[in-house]
Amino acid sequence: MPRLPAPMAALAALISFVPLSDASAHCFVGSRFFPATLNVDDPCVADELSLPTISVFKNEDVPSAQQLDISGEFSKRITENLGVSIESTWTRIRPPIGPTANGFQNLESTLKYQFLTDPTHELVLSAALSVEWGNTGAAQVGAESFSVITPTFFFGKGFGDLPDTVRFLRPFALTGQIGYAVPSSSSRTIFGVDPDTGESTFDVDRRARFLVYGGSLQYSFPYLKANVVDLGYPDLINRLIPLVEAQFQTPVANDFGLGLKTTGTINPGFILVADKFQIGLEALIPINRESGSGVGVMGQLHFYLDDIFPTTIGRPLFASNTGRPTFGN
Amino acid sequence: MRLLALATVLPALLFGAAAAHAHAQLDHASPRVGGTVAPAPRTVSLWFTEKLEPAFSTIEVTNAAGARVEQGRARLGGDRTVLQVGLKPLPPGTYSVHWRVLSVDSHVTEGRFSFQVGQ
Repeated sequence: MPRLPAPMAALAALISFVPLSDASAHCFVGSRFFPATLNVDDPCVADELSLPTISVFKNEDVPSAQQLDISGEFSKRITENLGVSIESTWTRIRPPIGPTANGFQNLESTLKYQFLTDPTHELVLSAALSVEWGNTGAAQVGAESFSVITPTFFFGKGFGDLPDTVRFLRPFALTGQIGYAVPSSSSRTIFGVDPDTGESTFDVDRRARFLVYGGSLQYSFPYLKANVVDLGYPDLINRLIPLVEAQFQTPVANDFGLGLKTTGTINPGFILVADKFQIGLEALIPINRESGSGVGVMGQLHFYLDDIFPTTIGRPLFASNTGRPTFGN
Repeated sequence: MRLLALATVLPALLFGAAAAHAHAQLDHASPRVGGTVAPAPRTVSLWFTEKLEPAFSTIEVTNAAGARVEQGRARLGGDRTVLQVGLKPLPPGTYSVHWRVLSVDSHVTEGRFSFQVGQ
């Protein structure tokens, strides 16, 4: 079991001292609604289903292979502030030369705790522990034999508290996450025989630790219409949230001699918010050749289970009350 | 197999989404969100996208000094999607509206906006 780095230990200490606050079903914080973003996770716990999320891009291989990912993620609240999620991704890799590979990636699960919800300042903070379970996917599509444990901190902040002089900036919101990905074992020794000399050889396969971070900048037309000024736009515009997401991973430890670089993508796009589901579409722009080649695309259909099944699977397993809210916070 | 299982869930979800209620969102308001009106309105009316529970749905209206200017309790009208509250006589100025409502499927939403009363 790896030791938590100092920032994570500090975060754990902070969690134990912050009072609990009421959480709303999917990500409402005061007047602000944070949509489920496609590439980085939103900062709330919720009863939601992303199905499917489809991305097509040219991956980092040389020469690049065409990669198709189709994934589903189910998120469930245990209490108002504590939730779990499980994600599965099917991958097809089609190189320019050679056979096509396909199969599932490793299963991923996340336990998340939303420890601060401040409606007045449209601020939400949460912490999570994610596990990618080794040996649950197919090696031919890159699923690793080892597990990866990632403690992650999330935040969301809406700018609804800006003054009247800049009221058209109020629909902006920022979300972010930073995590530390730790493999379950730091290295693997591979034994072999030198074909020229016949002597025994060994090689050490190091597994780097990564800082995984990213976020989104959003402009909410629903917020503009309901909280700033109703400009009489068509309903389609009033449901749009244009946004830019970005996600990166930087090797920070145990990467000696691996030649790893920071990789990631920047994703401009939009989310169309309906009453019980949302649709998202984004471009995938790699930040360097190690992140991919050319511009890919990602789309997602996302369901608000708390709205679709409000009395059954859309409720926390252990609700703190009968569903009637407490006013006045 | 995993994909097949996921794919069979989609029709049920789409059917459920068509039949279920959702969070109550503000559809439009009178006075209009961010608008300027003259003469002063006698009421604030809010139209929502879902039916509301009256006992847990409120409107507060305050002037620039933070003093409450609404009169009486908010009441539901129409098919329980319109929430309305009376106002005291309002001199020209800027007023803030803060609403909190409970939809019939027990979801709370809230919002705030301002409007101006002109000369």
